[in-house]
Amino acid sequence: MSNITPTTEKSMLTITDLHASVEEKNILKGLNLDVKPGEVHAIMGPNGAGKSTTGYVLSGRDGYTVEKGSAVLDGVEILEMEAEERARAGLFLAFQYPVEIPGVSNLEFLKASVDAQREARGEVAYTSAEFLKLAKEACKQVDLPLAFLKRGVNEGFSGGEKKRNELMQMILLKPKLCILDETDSGLDIDAMQVVANGVNSQRSPDRSFIIVTHYQRLLDYIKPDFVHVLSDGKIVKSGDASLAKELEAEGYAWIHNEPKDELEGDLL
Amino acid sequence: MTEQIDKALEREYEAGFVSDIESETFEPGLNEDIIRRISAMKNEPEWMLEWRLKAFRVWLEMEEPDWAHIKYSKIDFQSISYYSAPKSMKDKPKSLDEVDPELIRTYEKLGIPLIEQQMLAGIAVDAVFDSVSVVTTFREKLEEAGVIFCPISEAVHRFPDLVKKYLGTVVPTKDNYFAALNCAVFTDGSFVYIPKGTRCPMELSTYFRINEQNTGQFERTLIVADEGSHVSYLEGCTAPQRDENQLHAAVVELVAMDNAEIKYSTVQNWYPGDENGKGGIYNFVTKRGICHESAKISWTQVETGSAVTWKYPSCILKGDNSVGEFYSVALTRSAQQADTGTKMIHIGKNTKSTIISKGISAGRSNNSYRGLVRMNPGAQGARNFTQCDSLLIGDQCGAHTFPYVESRNPSAIVEHEATTSKVSDEQMFLCRQRGIEPEKAVSMIVNGFCKEVFKELPMEFAVEAGKLLEISLEGSVG
Amino acid sequence: MSVWLENAIARANSTSDWLSPIRSVSLAALKDTPWPTRKTEAWRYTSLKSLERATLSPSPSVNQDTPEQIDGFESFNLVFRNGEFDLDSLTQPLPAGLMISYLPTASEEMKQASLDEFSQIKPGRHLFGLINDVLAQHVVRIEVAEGVSISQAIRITSLIGLNSESHTRVFVKLNKGASLTVSEHYQGNVESLNTGFVEYDICAEAKLEHYRFALQTDKAISLGGCHFKLGERADLNSTLVGFGSDLSRVDTDIIYDGEFATAKLNAFYLLDGKELFDLHATVEHAVPNCTTLENVRGIVADRAKAVFNGRIHIHRHAQKTLAELNNRNLLLSDKAEINTKPELEIYADDVRCAHGATVAEIDKHALYYLESRGISRSKAQVMLNFGFINELIDQMPNQVLAEWIRPQIRNRFAEMEVTR
Repeated sequence: MSNITPTTEKSMLTITDLHASVEEKNILKGLNLDVKPGEVHAIMGPNGAGKSTTGYVLSGRDGYTVEKGSAVLDGVEILEMEAEERARAGLFLAFQYPVEIPGVSNLEFLKASVDAQREARGEVAYTSAEFLKLAKEACKQVDLPLAFLKRGVNEGFSGGEKKRNELMQMILLKPKLCILDETDSGLDIDAMQVVANGVNSQRSPDRSFIIVTHYQRLLDYIKPDFVHVLSDGKIVKSGDASLAKELEAEGYAWIHNEPKDELEGDLL
Repeated sequence: MTEQIDKALEREYEAGFVSDIESETFEPGLNEDIIRRISAMKNEPEWMLEWRLKAFRVWLEMEEPDWAHIKYSKIDFQSISYYSAPKSMKDKPKSLDEVDPELIRTYEKLGIPLIEQQMLAGIAVDAVFDSVSVVTTFREKLEEAGVIFCPISEAVHRFPDLVKKYLGTVVPTKDNYFAALNCAVFTDGSFVYIPKGTRCPMELSTYFRINEQNTGQFERTLIVADEGSHVSYLEGCTAPQRDENQLHAAVVELVAMDNAEIKYSTVQNWYPGDENGKGGIYNFVTKRGICHESAKISWTQVETGSAVTWKYPSCILKGDNSVGEFYSVALTRSAQQADTGTKMIHIGKNTKSTIISKGISAGRSNNSYRGLVRMNPGAQGARNFTQCDSLLIGDQCGAHTFPYVESRNPSAIVEHEATTSKVSDEQMFLCRQRGIEPEKAVSMIVNGFCKEVFKELPMEFAVEAGKLLEISLEGSVG
Repeated sequence: MSVWLENAIARANSTSDWLSPIRSVSLAALKDTPWPTRKTEAWRYTSLKSLERATLSPSPSVNQDTPEQIDGFESFNLVFRNGEFDLDSLTQPLPAGLMISYLPTASEEMKQASLDEFSQIKPGRHLFGLINDVLAQHVVRIEVAEGVSISQAIRITSLIGLNSESHTRVFVKLNKGASLTVSEHYQGNVESLNTGFVEYDICAEAKLEHYRFALQTDKAISLGGCHFKLGERADLNSTLVGFGSDLSRVDTDIIYDGEFATAKLNAFYLLDGKELFDLHATVEHAVPNCTTLENVRGIVADRAKAVFNGRIHIHRHAQKTLAELNNRNLLLSDKAEINTKPELEIYADDVRCAHGATVAEIDKHALYYLESRGISRSKAQVMLNFGFINELIDQMPNQVLAEWIRPQIRNRFAEMEVTR
C-alpha cells in the first residue's frame, strides 16, 4: 500500500496509513486512499471489513481511536479536529441508520447546521425567510413533502424518507466530501433511484464522494470512478467500475484466498 | 460525552444579584404576635386577622410532610423573618413616579420593565418584592373591562366580599402543612377577578422577587373567573444568590365558574443553590383550581430553579364536562431536587384531563413526577391521559415517577404512560457531524424533548423559558 | 398495634427452637414497625380491619382436606395443613440432585446452615414477612444441585381450616445451572389467616418456572409473599393468579444479583363481591444488563377492590437495564375500585424503562361487533373480558396448569356481573 501513484494534482482527501480501533480492537490496519476533486470512489467489502468504521473515523465519532496515520481534507489535517470542526471543514457523512431526535424539527435542525457551518466560514447567517426558501427547494429536490420540514428529525420517517432526509441535508450543507454509508440499505429500487438521482445531481468538479456499500446495485445508479475492496482494515484491491461487477459475480470469498502481498502491486 | 452535556447545561444564575434597598424587616420568629403585626402592617380588618390566627393554630397541630422524594435540612421556622418590605413602600406610592427608582431598576434588570410605555403591549404586571406589591400596571385599562387585578392586600380592603367568598375555598386551611403556614403568614400576592362573559383584554402577570436575607416569601394568589370569562395569567420568580436556604411557601387558588377558562403559566427560576447544593430556595407551593361546569383550567409550568421544589398544581373537576390540563417541564441540575406533578380529581361527568410531564435530570439532582388521577363514582365517561417522560443526563442523577391512579367509575378511562431516555451518543454525533456545537446540540435535543410543553406557554413566556433552556429558532421559522 | 399482633408477639417470645436467633432479630424489627394505617404508604388502599376483627385461634383445628387434584400435572406434592407440614410429603422418592428437607427434623448442621439463608432475600420492610419470620416453625427447604434439571414440578399447597392461622415458610435454592418448576397453591374460604412466604435463591444460569395461585376467597385472609434473587444469567418466569377475599395480599420482590439475568412476571386477578386483592411487586435492578418484563392485568366487579403497586428501581450503575411494566385494568361496576401505582425510580442513564397503566371499560366497539353477530350482550362481555386475561393464560409455560386454571377463570367471569 505504499506505492500510491504520485500526483501533481491537488487532492480532496488523502488518507495515509490509517490505523484505528474501537474498544481496543483494531479495525483499520493501514488504510490508504486518495480522492481527487469531483471523483466518486466506492469502497466495497465483506461485513466487518471496516467500511462503516472508515466513515466514523474520518468524521470523528467518539469511541473510534486513531492509532496512527493521517487524513488530509482539502489541504487540512482533520484527524485532530472535533467532529463538528470536520463537518465545518466540509466533510459530510450520510448515515446508514439516521437517528431520530424527537421534538427537534427538521427545519430547526437544518438551520442550526447551516448556520454553524456558515458562521465557521465567516459567512452571514441566512434570515429565517431566506433559509425557509432554500429548505423548501431542497425538500422538493429529494421528493419529500414540505410537512417533513416541521416534523421531528427523522421522527417516524420510513427508511427511504430517512435517506432522502440525509440527502436534503447534503444539498443544504454543500460539503466538499460526502461519505455515503450503506445508503442503499433498506431501500427498494424506486427509493434507491430517487436517492441516487439526488446524489448524481450533487456531483460537481469540486465535490468528491466516497460510497460505502456492500452490494454493487447502488453503483448501477451512481457510477463510480474507482472501486476499492476493503478487507480486514486495508484496501486489498482497486479498480474501475468493472471491479464492482466482478465482485457482484464472485462475492468476497476470493479475497481471503489470494495472498495479500501479490495484490499490492495492483493497487491504484 | 456527559461532560459536554453537563457543560451545555451549566449556566450562570443571572438573577442572582442583590438590590440595595433599605427595608423594614421583622425580626425572625413565628408566633401569634408576629401574625398580628403582619396583619397590622397591612391594616387588615378583624376577620382577616382571625382567619390567620385560626390557620396558625391549625398549623401548630400539623406535622411537616415527609412523603416526597426529597431530602433537606429541617426548616427552623423560628429563624425566618416573616415580613420584609422596602421602607419606601411604607407611604404607599400612588403612582410609579413615587416608587423608589432602585425597585424599578431591579425589575428592569430582570427584564420586567414596569413603566407601561416600555412594556410589552398586552401584559399587565403586578410586581411583588419580598412581602409587598410594588406596583400593578395597566390597572385603569383593565378596570375599563371590569377586570380586577390588584395586590391581594388591597383586595381585602376594596373587595372584601369577593375575597371572603373565595379565599380558602379551593385550598382549605388544613389542606397541608405549608398551606396552613401560608394562611397564617401570607403577605402579598395578586387578586384577579374576571367578570361574567369577559375575555381579559391583556395577559396578567405577577413577578415575584425575594431580595431580603433570612426572609421567607409567602404569597397568596386568588383568581376568580366568573361564568364564561377567560384569563391567561403568568407568574415568574427569582431571588438573589445566597448561601443559606430561603423558604417560599405560596398558595394559589383558582376558581373557574361555569364555562370559564383560566390558563396559568409559571416560569419558576428561584435561585437553585450552587453546584454543591449550598443555598437556594425551598419552594413548597400549593396550587389548586376548581372547575365548575364546562370550565377549563390549564396549568403550564417550567421549573428550573429552587434547591427543593415540592409542588403539585391540581384541578378539581367538579362540574360536568370540565377540563383540566397540566403541562410541566422540570429541569434539575447540580444538587437540585424536585418532586412535582399534579392531581386531577374527576368528580363531574365527562370531565377530561391531560397531563404531560417532562423531567430532565442532570448532575447529582433528583427529579420526581408525582401525580394522582382520581375518578370518583360520579365521573361517568371521564377521561385522563398522562404522559411522563424523563430524560437522564449522566449517571449520577435520578429520575422517578410516582403516579397514583384511583378509579371508581367503570365508564371512566385512565391512561398512564411513562418512558425514560437519555441524550444518546447517536443524536449528539448526528448533530456534531452536521457542524453543530455540542452545547447547542444538547440544548436543541433537550428543547425538542420539552416541545409539547413549551408550545402551551404564551409567546412572551415561551421566549423566557427558551432562554432558560437555551432554545433558539423554534417559532421564528416555519 | 392490633391485639392480634400483641398476642402473636407474645407467642413468638415464648417459642424457643433452632429459629430463635432469627426470630429475635425479626421481633426487634417488628417492634419498630408501626401497625399500618391509611397513612402508611404500603397500606394506603388496603385496610387490616378484617384481620383486627377476625376470630383466630393459634392452636389449629384438625384439617383433613386434601389438595385439589390437577389432572395430568406431574408433581412432588408438599402439603401444609393449617401451617403444619404433612410429613408424608417426604416419603416420595426424589430424583438425584433434588433435596427436600423439613428443617425442624433436619440435622443440626443443616439447621445452622439454613439460618444463614433465612430471610436473606425477603426484604425486611414487609410487615407480614416479619410476622412470618417470628411465627413460622414448619420450615421446608428445597435445593436442586448444580446443573440438574428436574422435570417434575414441585407443588406446594397450603390448606387452612376455620379460625386457623397458618404461617408457612419455604426456602428454595437452585444451584448454578439448575432448573425447576415450583407451583404454590393457597386455598381456603373460611375465616382464617395465612401468611405464606417463599424465598427463591436462583443462582447463576439457573432457571425457575414459578406459579403462585393465590386462590383464597371469602373470609380467608392471606398476607404472603414470594421473593426471588437472581444470579448471573439466571432466568425467572413467574405467573401469579389472584382471587380476592376479605383481605388478600401478595408482596413479591425480584432482586437482580448477577448481570444478564432475565425475569418475566405475569400476574392477573379477578375480583368479585366485596373481595380485595393487593399486589405489591418490586423489581430491584441492582446490577447492569438485566431485563424485566412485567404484565399485570385485573378485572374488578361488584364492590371489589384491586390494589396494584409496581415498583421498578434501577440502581446507580445498573446500566443497560431493560424494564417494562404494563398494567391494565377493567372495572365492571360503579361500586368497584381500582388503585394502581406503577412507579419508576431510576438512577442510571443508559437504560430503557417504561411503564404504562390503564383503567378502562370494555371496548364498546368490540362489544358492538360481537352483538352485531348475534351474541348476547352478557355473553359478549364475558368473551371480551376473558380474552383480556386469556392472553396471559396462553403465556403460561405449563400447559397442564394453564388448562387447569382456564375453566376456573372462565367460571369466575361467568358469575361476574356488569353493573352500571
